Amino acid sequence: MPARISALTGRSSFICAQCRKALTAPKRRRLLSTSPKTPEIYDVVTVGGGPAGLALLAALKSSPVTSHLKTALIEIQDLTKPRQWSSPGDQFSNRASSFTPSSVSFLETTGSWAHVDQTRIQAYDEMQVWDAANDASIQFDWNAETQKYNAPPQTIATMCENANLTRGLLERIVELGAGSSLFSSTSVSSIENGVDDPEGLNLSTWPVLSLESQSQPHSQSQSAGQPPSDTPNPTPTNIAARLLVGADGFNSPVRAFAGINSSGWDYNRHGVVATLTLQPADSNTATDRTHDFDLFSSEPLPNRATAYQRFLPQLGGPIAILPLPHDRASMVWSTTPANAAYLKSLPPSAQVAMINAALRLSQTDLKYLLSLPAHSHSDSAKTDTDADTDANVQHETELRWRLEHTDSAPADLTRQQPPPFVTGIQENSLASFPLRFRHATSLINPRVALIGDAAHTIHPLAGQGLNLGLADAKSLAECIAYSVSHGMDVGDAMALERYSSARFGRGLMMAGGVDVLNSLYQLGSGGDGMLASVVGQARGLGMKVVNQLVPGLKGLIMRQAS
Amino acid sequence: MRATTPSSLTRLLALPSPLRVRTFSVLSRPPPNYPGHIPLTIPERLSLAAGSAIGSLFNPYRHDLIASLGETTAKPYFLSRLHRAMLNNPTGRRILRDRPRITSKSMKLEELRHMPENSVGRAYAAWLDREGVTPDTRDAVRYIDDPEEAYVMQRYRETHDFTHAITGLPVIIEGELAVKAFEFANTLLPMTALSLVAIVRLKKVERQRFFEVYMPWALRNGLKAEEVINVYWEEELETDVEVLRARLGIEKPPDLRDIRKALREQKRKEREAKEAAG
Repeated sequence: MPARISALTGRSSFICAQCRKALTAPKRRRLLSTSPKTPEIYDVVTVGGGPAGLALLAALKSSPVTSHLKTALIEIQDLTKPRQWSSPGDQFSNRASSFTPSSVSFLETTGSWAHVDQTRIQAYDEMQVWDAANDASIQFDWNAETQKYNAPPQTIATMCENANLTRGLLERIVELGAGSSLFSSTSVSSIENGVDDPEGLNLSTWPVLSLESQSQPHSQSQSAGQPPSDTPNPTPTNIAARLLVGADGFNSPVRAFAGINSSGWDYNRHGVVATLTLQPADSNTATDRTHDFDLFSSEPLPNRATAYQRFLPQLGGPIAILPLPHDRASMVWSTTPANAAYLKSLPPSAQVAMINAALRLSQTDLKYLLSLPAHSHSDSAKTDTDADTDANVQHETELRWRLEHTDSAPADLTRQQPPPFVTGIQENSLASFPLRFRHATSLINPRVALIGDAAHTIHPLAGQGLNLGLADAKSLAECIAYSVSHGMDVGDAMALERYSSARFGRGLMMAGGVDVLNSLYQLGSGGDGMLASVVGQARGLGMKVVNQLVPGLKGLIMRQAS
Repeated sequence: MRATTPSSLTRLLALPSPLRVRTFSVLSRPPPNYPGHIPLTIPERLSLAAGSAIGSLFNPYRHDLIASLGETTAKPYFLSRLHRAMLNNPTGRRILRDRPRITSKSMKLEELRHMPENSVGRAYAAWLDREGVTPDTRDAVRYIDDPEEAYVMQRYRETHDFTHAITGLPVIIEGELAVKAFEFANTLLPMTALSLVAIVRLKKVERQRFFEVYMPWALRNGLKAEEVINVYWEEELETDVEVLRARLGIEKPPDLRDIRKALREQKRKEREAKEAAG
């Protein structure tokens, strides 16, 4: 116990060795000023300006408990472009995601959902899932509950373009006055532990980021009339983070810095995305895309929109059609890289034929269609001979012939609608990305937390990937708020345990569950043999059981997924 | 008014339609999917299969029983597999598009007899003449529900004679059993395997010959050959038989009629020698 020191009077009691050294040392310890070498200290530094990182920042800034924290968000791309994103009303980006009610509720609470363009989102009330290997199907909807209470249809999920959400989040962040936290066009050249400055701070356990600005002198963008609060400060070169949040995607440098491994596997599949135009179903359902329901009607209230997913085990995965406004839809088709390359090489009319075929024809017919020579549209510069025209329409003629002979009415016709007809595909919207499964071995380390794709990447068949990221952001924001309101260091490992215990198990179970589902629906993919047929029928029996026989099982699944 | 939802117990006890065994009753048969179609319930199908099997075993000339045996045992998997084999092959797809039928009108024997020597058409006409049959003896398919699968069954039936023609096997029981064994290995239809029960009707010598020569030939060639259902016979009439056999991967088996004739000659000579001696 050090004795009291009276430096003025020189009267001394016992002085411990360290204090004596400190007092007698010739140099004085700086307490309130930082040396030029000391990096600027931020409370929460988020690396990555994707939906998860931006949602976390918006959540922190919108809550009165955490809005005073000094935050930074580092993003390598120029964030002015996403802020200024706009698109004609009838064109939709091919990166659109399905947002569960929990995600939407989180975005509403933080005030970001109000900035999302509501004319470009589509809530859907029903999801139909069926399998090409059998005639079973499952309809996911809340009808059983809503009919009990004579209520309008309850949303399963809402489709929204990723760019629409990002713009909304950025606008909310700026509205909250946190535009200065955004370090756009900045790359992180390295992350290291800080140094223990003997006359300054001991940052040896703190992450210190070296930033490099990628932008050119921005005289033009700054003269575009941005209010002063938006203009970011000149980028400092070194910043230290009390809590470093990795929202930087699949190959997360933050995760690498923290030494956290990420295990998993590549699916050897590509997700082919596109924006499609659908044939309007009937005249009366076309007008029911509004959110108004006639609550006094004695008719069952119609669904606003329906999502469709058809599993194609022999072709590598499911094709999903997710509705967008104005009879548009977003397609995600998980298939082998060879099939993805083939689809990309087809002319648009053949692509439309292939998508219609994928929703209706047998897998044998689909495999045959995928083996037809792809007539590349670069050859259209040549004069069209008859052979060329025939080759051009091969897919359509095959489709039309096979549709006549394919029994598309499944055995169970209780409430099912047939899948929609695709009439067009938006120009240049067909693209593909590789599918992978990864999960970090830990979500936290001292002073490090991971959210979004840095923590986990999953198969898109359940539409849960982005929702997991948003749930992580919500949970981490709550954890930070708890730490702040209880006077704890937000980056302390024990404080972060709260976040990890809330999200690690949940995220892993969702990722693992989706992976098991994917494997289940790839069984019987090895050819047309008897075993494959039996496996397909067994799976169909399982689907029928889930759909009708076991009461409450479907509701349980839907509750988990929302 | 909305219907009240049934309680969970009622729902558990009443199996939903996909899990129920019978999908329609005999008093309310669904309408036919093509002319001549007769939808059957599952007990009807099983009893027809059993009856046809026993009946055709006792009287192998009852081609209608063999036909109904084939149709009632071909579903759920085997006919679909054959259908898929046709869809996977470009020629098979063309056959399904064009749907050619083999009748005495479409296969004019006069023209076939004048085709080049060793052509498929000539071999077919020669075989028909040798065995004394015409292309018209095939029954129409009735008990298959899907019209396209019904056509596949019909096509199999009508091209059965072509299989005889290019292998040279005769219509006697031994020859038919050899062709059926070949067809089982090639098409996997259960009726072809069930027909092999008729081996019990063969004489001892014939049975021995069958197991030694013809069944091994049939199984070996049926497995390694291409799917014979995918051959567009109407286009192959002028092809050389050897060329077609080589393309399909089929060896010609020993001529059965010649073997039997040689054996009969040998027996006759022995009998005469015995009578002359005794």
